[in-house]
Amino acid sequence: MSIAVQHQDESQLLHRLQAGHADAFHEAVRTYTPGMLAVARYYTDPSSAEDIVQDSWVSVVDAIRQFEGRASLKTWLHRIVANRAKNLLRKQGREVTMDFADALDPALAARFKPNGRWAVPPRISTVESAEALLENGALSECLDKHLAHLPENQRSALLLYEAHQRRSDEVCNILDVSASNLRVLLHRARQKIFLMVEQFQETGEC
Amino acid sequence: MLMCRELATKASEYLDDRLGAGERLSIKMHLLMCRRCRAFVGQLRNSITLMEAHSSQRLAPAYAERLDHEIQRALANASGDNPG
Ligand SMILES: [Zn+2]
Repeated sequence: MSIAVQHQDESQLLHRLQAGHADAFHEAVRTYTPGMLAVARYYTDPSSAEDIVQDSWVSVVDAIRQFEGRASLKTWLHRIVANRAKNLLRKQGREVTMDFADALDPALAARFKPNGRWAVPPRISTVESAEALLENGALSECLDKHLAHLPENQRSALLLYEAHQRRSDEVCNILDVSASNLRVLLHRARQKIFLMVEQFQETGEC
Repeated sequence: MLMCRELATKASEYLDDRLGAGERLSIKMHLLMCRRCRAFVGQLRNSITLMEAHSSQRLAPAYAERLDHEIQRALANASGDNPG
């Protein structure tokens, strides 16, 4: 779908939302809620995240009439969720803490010798294409499982990065994270998936 | 001379084409000579593609219905506040 068509679709949906059509909200909930949950999960546990997203949607029913379209609808919704989640954390006296010490996942870092060469090299000699890998249903399930087990901040960073067409500036803005820290979150998540695929190809087990 | 560990650290930036010309060149030179790092970079590229294919999340139907319900209640309240 071209960007122009997306914009047209979004502005039509926006008009119907601002007019208070229930069917427009029905559609918007299904389009935007997964991304909104990813934002909330960056800050808090799954059940609190669902509550935050629900409260956000209820507030949107009124606030949408003031929405002027300076940001995309998606970005605007994500910011509403992020602000709610941050306020809640502040009230509870908690903060999001992260470890950005190294750009290498510990399990991967352990596979190098002190001199910087591979001690335990990648175990796959012939690399299958991603398309071929995706046709393997068992690997797909395994991937789902591992994505679910990624640290919340890594997974949210990953999902939002894709949801915002890889625009780092928007993701940094929503999550309140620096560009370099966002890169570290992305790298670490990718390395974890690398390790998972490697093990799956070698053992056939998840 | 670029070591394998350093290459692994920069591989993600390399694949996203976010490195300067000098660093990009030294990685390319290393990859020409090092089969292990070639395997690593190839598989990391696959991992990124795999995650893209999976990054669209599914929404639990029961939760979506709960949201519909709350929104309908809010819409009813709003129209009650401003008749017409
Ligand atoms: Zn190497």
